[in-house]
Amino acid sequence: MIMAKLPEELSNGMFKNNPIFIQALGMCPTLATTTSATNALGMGMATLAVLIMSNVVISLIRKIVPDKIRIPVYVIIIAGFVTMIDLLMHGFLYDLWKTLGLFIPLIVVNCIILGRAEAYASKNGVFKSILDALGMGLGFAGALLLLGSVREILGAGTWFGLPLWGDAFNVFIMILPPGAFITLGLLVAGLNWIGISKEEKRKQKEKEAKAAAQAAEKAGA
Amino acid sequence: MGNYLKMGLTLMAFAMVVAILLSAVYTITEDPIAQSELNVKLKSIKTVLTDPTSGELLIDEKDIPESQAKLEGMIWKQSDEDKLFTSDKYKGYCASPAYQFTLKDGRKAYVITGASVGYGGYVTIMCSFIGDADTLEMLRMEVLDYSQETPGLGAKIAEEPMKERFFEVPDAALKDSLKVDKDAGVAPAQTDAQINTYKDDGVIFISDLMTGATITPRGVANAINGMYEYLEQELGGE
Repeated sequence: MIMAKLPEELSNGMFKNNPIFIQALGMCPTLATTTSATNALGMGMATLAVLIMSNVVISLIRKIVPDKIRIPVYVIIIAGFVTMIDLLMHGFLYDLWKTLGLFIPLIVVNCIILGRAEAYASKNGVFKSILDALGMGLGFAGALLLLGSVREILGAGTWFGLPLWGDAFNVFIMILPPGAFITLGLLVAGLNWIGISKEEKRKQKEKEAKAAAQAAEKAGA
Repeated sequence: MGNYLKMGLTLMAFAMVVAILLSAVYTITEDPIAQSELNVKLKSIKTVLTDPTSGELLIDEKDIPESQAKLEGMIWKQSDEDKLFTSDKYKGYCASPAYQFTLKDGRKAYVITGASVGYGGYVTIMCSFIGDADTLEMLRMEVLDYSQETPGLGAKIAEEPMKERFFEVPDAALKDSLKVDKDAGVAPAQTDAQINTYKDDGVIFISDLMTGATITPRGVANAINGMYEYLEQELGGE
């Protein structure tokens, strides 16, 4: 399994504690920007970049920030980073900025970033914090991409703008806000179902192993 | 007390460092941002001055301004406020400044940026009008800002086939003001020829391309109507 090979810091955010599907964090950008796969991927990547940078800086300064003012300091740092990225992209990567421009200011209010600063980067070293940011960021981006793909395919009949079946089958509501809630709900339910049935199978196996061991004991006696 | 002071100073130090960094980034990016915004504007101007049928640029290549200073030389009308003209009838406005260009064949072209209300806010477009007070044709329009329109529905307005339905509208049609087909209550068009006939009557046929979204193209039609109203007033035509 791939999962077993990844360091704990990385896989935690990607699977076990996925920010969207498990922690249900950052719902505002999740629901608002997943109208298409392109938008979802853009938002995911921009968040990933900000998350890595903020985690690195916050991990570096964690020992010099007094406990009582840590939240305002984190907010200043995150907001500063986001504004700088916005300005730099506007000036030097205009086309990309035009596509993502709407979402970049939204990153400031994404609670995953502040959440990881508070829960992880302020307590761990730089390297571990980078891994954590990568895991959480990729988990966020992956979940967004999945959500955006489902909505775009069902709603517009395209994927990343490429026509799959065009106008032949379109469920318009998938692109509209209710579609975001419906898709997210069904995805969370589906993933929970997979998780629960895996857990049950594991328990079933344990039970069988126990019973077999007991039987063997009895037979031995 | 001393503890609070220390905390306050630490917070101030962080705020100052971030503020200095931000101002540095702002200074570095100020010119590139202005340049890329200008490039986008110039590209739109070039597009609306290109004939949609033949793809030929209607003004001399050298007449296209490439800097802010040269663009300012092309200003036809401007106002100290952001708006040149507000149309109550069409719930729209024309933005300042408006530009004037002289075509290769000597006719005048007016390039106007304007907006009217769409589904979620203003839809901003740029249009080129060619002619004088007697006959004024709308050559081409570009959609500049439609960020409030619904993705997959109203936002389709910026797609090329959609925009083409608004190209080359004759004077007579503009005079009676443009309508979208749903508002005009006409039968669905079957052929391109029929779409063009409708256009000559001032009816923009869109419902085959944009199912379920009438408000956004209505906003574009109204923005064009507002611009025409402004041009009529300024040129003194009938």
